Amino acid sequence: MPKLRMTGRGLWITVLVVPPLAFVALFIVYPILSAFAYAFFDWQGLRRLDFIGLENFHTVLFVEPYRSWTLNAFRNNVIVFFALMVLQNGLGFILAYALWRELPGARFHRVAVFLPVVLSTIIVAYLFKLFYHPLFGVVNISLRSIGLGWLAQPWLGQSSTALWSLIIAQAWHMVGFPTLVFLAGMQRIPGEILDAVRMETESEWVKITKIVWPLVAPSATIVFTLLFVGAFNWFELPYIMAGLDGSPFGSTDVLGLYFYRTAFGNVSAGQQDFGLGSALAVLIFIFIAAIATVITLRLRAREIQL
Amino acid sequence: MAQLLLRGIKKRFKTTEVLHGIDLEIGDREFVVFVGPSGCGKSTLLRLIAGLDPISDGQFFLNGKLMNDVAPSRRGIAMVFQSYALYPHMDVYENMAFGARLMGLDKAEVERRIAEAVRMLRLGELLKRRPRELSGGQRQRVAIGRALVRKPDVFLLDEPLSNLDAALRSDVRLEIARLHREIGGTMIYVTHDQVEAMTLADKIVVMNEGRIEQVGSPRALYETPANTFVGTFIGSPRMSLVTVTREGTRLGIADGGSLPIDTKLDARALKLGMRPDAVSLHRGQGGEGFHAQVVYTEYLGDNAYVYVRLADGTLLSARTAPNDDFAPDERVSVTLAPGTAHFFSAEDGRRLVP
Repeated sequence: MPKLRMTGRGLWITVLVVPPLAFVALFIVYPILSAFAYAFFDWQGLRRLDFIGLENFHTVLFVEPYRSWTLNAFRNNVIVFFALMVLQNGLGFILAYALWRELPGARFHRVAVFLPVVLSTIIVAYLFKLFYHPLFGVVNISLRSIGLGWLAQPWLGQSSTALWSLIIAQAWHMVGFPTLVFLAGMQRIPGEILDAVRMETESEWVKITKIVWPLVAPSATIVFTLLFVGAFNWFELPYIMAGLDGSPFGSTDVLGLYFYRTAFGNVSAGQQDFGLGSALAVLIFIFIAAIATVITLRLRAREIQL
Repeated sequence: MAQLLLRGIKKRFKTTEVLHGIDLEIGDREFVVFVGPSGCGKSTLLRLIAGLDPISDGQFFLNGKLMNDVAPSRRGIAMVFQSYALYPHMDVYENMAFGARLMGLDKAEVERRIAEAVRMLRLGELLKRRPRELSGGQRQRVAIGRALVRKPDVFLLDEPLSNLDAALRSDVRLEIARLHREIGGTMIYVTHDQVEAMTLADKIVVMNEGRIEQVGSPRALYETPANTFVGTFIGSPRMSLVTVTREGTRLGIADGGSLPIDTKLDARALKLGMRPDAVSLHRGQGGEGFHAQVVYTEYLGDNAYVYVRLADGTLLSARTAPNDDFAPDERVSVTLAPGTAHFFSAEDGRRLVP
C-alpha cells in the first residue's frame, strides 16, 4: 500500500495546481452549479423566493411573450451559426488554400488575415458601427462614390439588414482563426502527396475536394466545434453594435442578449428575473454541450493519420 | 511507345543553376538509371521530366511533342515517389482507382486494370487496407500499382528502394526488373546506389554537379569510364587512382616503385586507375610493383579486400583470396594484371586511350 506522503515534488505540484483549480471552481464550476439551482426558484429581483420546480423552464419555452422571444433569439443564433459557417469557416478554408499555394503576396496576407483576430471585440464592433453609419459610414460613402448610391442603406437600422451586417463584422473579425488552423493542417500534408496528385490531375477542384479537404478534416473538427459554441454564445458584438434589445425590433436578438436582459434587466425595462434568466442559461448550456459533443464525436470518427 | 529527347535542359532556382544543359536521348522500352552522388541534380532532372517543376531553359520532347508547358497529368508519365506518397485517407483499391478514374476510364476498364496490377504485384489481400496498415514493401508495391493502372508511356521511379531495409531491397529490385520485362514501358529510375544502377539498367546516366558525366550500358561504364569521376563512382569497392610519371616503358610513383606498362601515351604525368580485382599483392618489397603498406582487411567470406597505402599516401584496394592473411603494417608490392589499367589525363581527368 503506497503511503500518501508529501514529498518535495508533490508539494511543488500541489502549490502549482491548487490555485488554478480553486479559481476554476470558484468562477466557473460554482456559477454553473448555482445557475442550475437558481433556475428552480421563483425570484423577485435578487431576492430568492420559493422552490417552483420546472416552472421557469416552462415559462421561457411555452408562455408568451417569452416563448416568441426565445424562439426569435434561437432562430437568429441558428442563422448566425450557418452564416458564419460559410463566411468564416468557408472563406477561411479558401484563404488558407490561397496562402498555402503561395499566391503572390502570401507572406503579407498571412499576417494581414490574422491581424483582426488579435483586435478586441470592442474595437471591431465600434469600427464596424462607424463603417455602417448611414451618412458618414465608409460602406455607404463607397457605394455612392462608385455610382451605386441606390444600394446605400441604414445597415444597422432596418430589420432586413441588421443581423447580416453584424454577421459580416463578426466574420471579418474572426476569419483569421479558421484560416490559421486550416493553413496549419495543409502545411502538414507531405509535399510528395501533392506531387502525386499533380501527376494525376491538374484540376484544383479535385485536389481540394478529394485530397486537401479530407486531409485537413482533423483541423476542421476543432474549428467547427468552436464556431458552434461561439455562435450560440454570441454576445459582445451584438451587444455593442445593436444594444441589449437586439434592435431594431429584435432582429438582432440572440440568446446571449436575451438571457442577459431577462436575468439582469435593461435600461428601458428595469425588470429582472434571475429565475427565468437562469433557466435560459441552463437551457443554452445543455444545448451547446450536447450538440458540441455530437459534433466532436462525429467529426473525430473520420480523422486521418497522416 | 515512348521516346524522350532532352535538349539543353537547364534548371535554375532563383539565381542558382543546378542543371547546366542536359542533352539526353532515351529510347522506347529502355530502362534508364540516373545515378550520381546526392545533390548532383538527378532528382531535379526527374522532376522536370515529370513536369512537377518548370524547365528554365532547353526543350523536352516526348514522342516528338514538346512537353515543356504540358501539365504533369497530361504527359502520359507516372511516377513512384521515394516516400511512396500514397493517399492516407484512401484504401489500396482507391489509391489505384483514383488516377485511373481521373483519366476518364469507365468503371469496367478501371476494374480490369486494377485486377491486372493486383495480379502482377500480388496485392490481393491488401485491397481494403489503408496505407498506414501496410509495411514498407507493401506500400512500395501499391505505389508501383498506382502508376501501373494509368498505363503510362514512361515510368519515373525516384529512389524507390531507399526506404526499404537491406534484405527487402534486393527482392524489390528483382521485382522491378521483372515488371519492366512484363510491361515493357520506358522506365527512368533515380538512385545514388551504383549497385542498383548496375543491376537494373539498360543504360546508365552518370551525373555529377548538374552535368552528365557519361551515358552508357553498365558494361561500357565499368570497362571504359569516360573520366575519373565515372571510374571511381561505378564499381565497388571503388577504382583506385594514382598519379604516376612515365619513365620510358615504366610508370612510377616517386620513391614508391614502378610497373612496366606498354602504352603509347606520350604524356609524362598520368592518372592510373586500378580496379580491386585487377590488383595483386605480393609480400615484401624490392621486386616488381609499387611499394605499399597494408592498412586493413575486409573479410567477405568468398574473398577479401585488402586496403594498402602507397608511398604517395593514396589508399588502394585489392581483392585477394580469403585465406591470404595480410597483417596490418605489412610491407607489400602492388602489381596490375596486363591490359586492365585505366589511364586518365592528369589535368582534367578525361580518359586517355592507351
